[in-house]
Amino acid sequence: VRRLLRWYGASPLNLLTMVGCFALAGYAAVMLLKVNALGVTVWFAGAVIGHDLVLMPLYTIADRSVRAVFTRRPPELPAVPWINYLRVPVVLSGILLLIWFPLILRLPRSFQASTTLPTSPYLWHWLAVTGVLFLTSAAAYALRLRRARGRARKAAHPAKEAPARPPAS
Amino acid sequence: VKLKLKPPIAGPPPGPFRRSFWRSPIRGPWLTSVFGLVLLVSIPVVIVTGLLSYAAYNPDLSPVNDETPGKGLLGFYLFSWPTHPVWLYRLNQGVHVTLGLVLVPILLFKLWSVLPKLFEWPPLRSPAHLLERLSLFLLVGGAVFEFATGILNIQTWYKFPGSFYPLHFYGAWVFTAALVMHVVLKVPTMIRALRSRSLIRELRTNLADTRPESPDAGYLVSPAPAAPTISRRGVLVFAGAGSLLVAALSVGQALGGPLRRTALLAPHGQEAGGGPGSFQVNRTAAIVGIKPSETGDTWRLTLASSGQAAHAGHAPVVLTRADLLHMEQHTASLPIACVEGWSTDNQAWDGVRLSDLARLAGVSRPSSVLVRSLQRGGAFSQAVLSADQIMSPDSLLALRVNGADLTPDHGYPARVIVPASPGVHNTKWVASMTFEA
Repeated sequence: VRRLLRWYGASPLNLLTMVGCFALAGYAAVMLLKVNALGVTVWFAGAVIGHDLVLMPLYTIADRSVRAVFTRRPPELPAVPWINYLRVPVVLSGILLLIWFPLILRLPRSFQASTTLPTSPYLWHWLAVTGVLFLTSAAAYALRLRRARGRARKAAHPAKEAPARPPAS
Repeated sequence: VKLKLKPPIAGPPPGPFRRSFWRSPIRGPWLTSVFGLVLLVSIPVVIVTGLLSYAAYNPDLSPVNDETPGKGLLGFYLFSWPTHPVWLYRLNQGVHVTLGLVLVPILLFKLWSVLPKLFEWPPLRSPAHLLERLSLFLLVGGAVFEFATGILNIQTWYKFPGSFYPLHFYGAWVFTAALVMHVVLKVPTMIRALRSRSLIRELRTNLADTRPESPDAGYLVSPAPAAPTISRRGVLVFAGAGSLLVAALSVGQALGGPLRRTALLAPHGQEAGGGPGSFQVNRTAAIVGIKPSETGDTWRLTLASSGQAAHAGHAPVVLTRADLLHMEQHTASLPIACVEGWSTDNQAWDGVRLSDLARLAGVSRPSSVLVRSLQRGGAFSQAVLSADQIMSPDSLLALRVNGADLTPDHGYPARVIVPASPGVHNTKWVASMTFEA
């Protein structure tokens, strides 16, 4: 038994849990596959591949590219990290789109006939929310920039009666 | 010419299989464990409310009510669904759907935080490791499958590979089994990781002071961390803001009243029409093919009985709408609560008690009733109600709502309304009721 467990690579409790849970998962999986074996398999595999190997690499690459492309800034601006002021509205708006894309893109064709409610407002609602997110983020960044500039000015001219221009040296 | 010799033991291939490929300075067991803890507390609520929602259909009462007749042992917990409090199903389903939506951002952040583990090298260390990786396939696949089917279903975009009920129910059990394995395997790691850093101190640490977790803390910590671009506090606030945003834009469809309009992106966040029938509808008369000619003066309600009373030779009773209006009328203040997570405030329904109709059919102590709609076909053109549901004084065959006749979309000439029941069991355009003694 000890040799068997060493071969297995974990404790007996681990083995029991795994066997029990796989039995449960297997039972449910058989019923699930009975609904539509090919479709369900494609969906499960597609879920893992679509998320781990498509969505995540895409947003990682997008994030890195944006940071690589926008490296220049006007020299008079202080160095305030800006990436999160872009990341937050993009990701939040993206999550809303990910959840609600069928209504936003008006895909459920009989929605209005079924519920009396039109699908036409959802695109505008999403765009409006996205706009508010970006504006809020831009305002927050502007505020941060202003404070940083104030700090930088104070650091450059610590005396109260500092001359308007730095003396030529 | 130099000869390049292969190392005696093959290392990981280049790319994501090398740990140095992953450079996030904030990935680490502590951050993953915080997201894990949030999910550990809230996912069980979504699972339990989902299982309760299945129980609310009373699937054991009749095959008519059961969308997953092959459930076998997976229905071990079923019980007769109660009729009070009247908001029970409204609360259950509001929590199930809204909390599920709110967890989408947390789930995405959690999956981001553990991505390097997908490319772990060597891919298989032992049979135990193989089982763990298989369970992770079921966990990630099951989670995305459950969230996707639920989210598409509430938007009535039925693109999943089959009927929603069996897919979502059996998928939930696959996911739950995988989740139990994951929790058993990972809870010790989670506790250790959560103890390794103070949450309060992390919430006070800004970007400039953000350092990677200790390199020996585990696989997730990058051996070659880049300079941080966001603090741990920043990531937690980011994910929390995502959840709050999703909640703010959808919870109104479950709260109803003036808050409904705040659900800017939820399927039932718009007000429905005007007048006394101006509350949410899931299936209009037109979409299920109810013709005005069927609901006019020629409409009749057939009350039948089966079982012992039928043997006693009690003939079916046929009633017009005027007959029903001449019977004793009662008022019940009840919501409509849909499996899709939206609901309405209480509406004032007027009509005849189901228990009075049972007596009229010759069954004084009914064990169940099969309610059939004029609607032809469709999973919910009929439903079987339990003895409790028939005998509740609030259970009505409603003829009027909010002081006016039912509108066609709300089930004119007559519809069932039962407290605490899923919306689809409040059968509209009722044609017949067969009481079982």
